[in-house]
Amino acid sequence: MDKVKDGDFGIITTTLENAMEWGRSNSLWPLTFGLACCAIEMMAMQGANYDVARFGSEIFRNSPRQSDLMIVAGTVTKKMAPRVKRLYDEMPFPKYVIAMGVCVIQGGPYVKGYSVVLGVDKVIPVDVYVPGCPPTPEALIFGITTLQKRIRGESDR
Amino acid sequence: MADEGQQQVDKAGRQIFKVPKEKLLEFMRARKDEGFNHLSLITGVDRKDHIEVVYHLHSVEQDRYIVVKTTTNNCTVPSVTSLWRSANWDEREQWDLMGIKFEGHPNLKRMFLPESWVGHPLRKDYDLGNVQYINMDEDGEDYSTFDPGDGW
Repeated sequence: MDKVKDGDFGIITTTLENAMEWGRSNSLWPLTFGLACCAIEMMAMQGANYDVARFGSEIFRNSPRQSDLMIVAGTVTKKMAPRVKRLYDEMPFPKYVIAMGVCVIQGGPYVKGYSVVLGVDKVIPVDVYVPGCPPTPEALIFGITTLQKRIRGESDR
Repeated sequence: MADEGQQQVDKAGRQIFKVPKEKLLEFMRARKDEGFNHLSLITGVDRKDHIEVVYHLHSVEQDRYIVVKTTTNNCTVPSVTSLWRSANWDEREQWDLMGIKFEGHPNLKRMFLPESWVGHPLRKDYDLGNVQYINMDEDGEDYSTFDPGDGW
């Protein structure tokens, strides 16, 4: 039998919607955007050791107009919150948000402070929450793959 | 130097000088002439009945580090911006967060929070229940508000 791989995989039938979702989920481009220490883990996730490029979201864009995923990595202070909202508004649809770390989820250790927003979901809508202080790069990759499943309309489990 | 102010030594072996605020400027000028050319930090301590202002001075050439403390009952202390230019922002920070007024400061505005913020958040009597929010207007200027509004 001839086993030469010639790149031809025959005919696949699918809906256009499924094909779009598949493409969208595998080309998530995050915004280069870090607020505090969680950003270090986000950078580690992007680096060679953990290499999120395997899941199709390696290109951190420097402009919100070119990105479709915002990883809110680090404590959102009240002073930063209007800027976060403006950056989110500048992103084109479809756009997704991952809340990374307990500070972003509900305030974390600063929950009794005067200066910290108690959850970024008070400012912008969040798709996936990744808990941890900070979450490991593996946890964040799990969050991204969860988001990809959600975009494809699959079950989270 | 030993004749001026009360003197103690802290755990790290640094000399602590307690100076009344009327004599502060004179004392600091003498320390600067002595070679303390780096004002490392200014901070405030809320002791409820009075406020303590702490200055850390460092001499780069002599490798010496001293702590100067003064107290105030009415939240005013003379400014040392005329001696060390770096005191400008340090004193603005203390005004912003502790509400210590520095007399003679050239530009005593808030450092971090918007001007419309009510209260000084690191004071013991600051009301945390009265939540304030920060919004941004069209020009990018911050303003504080008690009403979350659309921006939140």
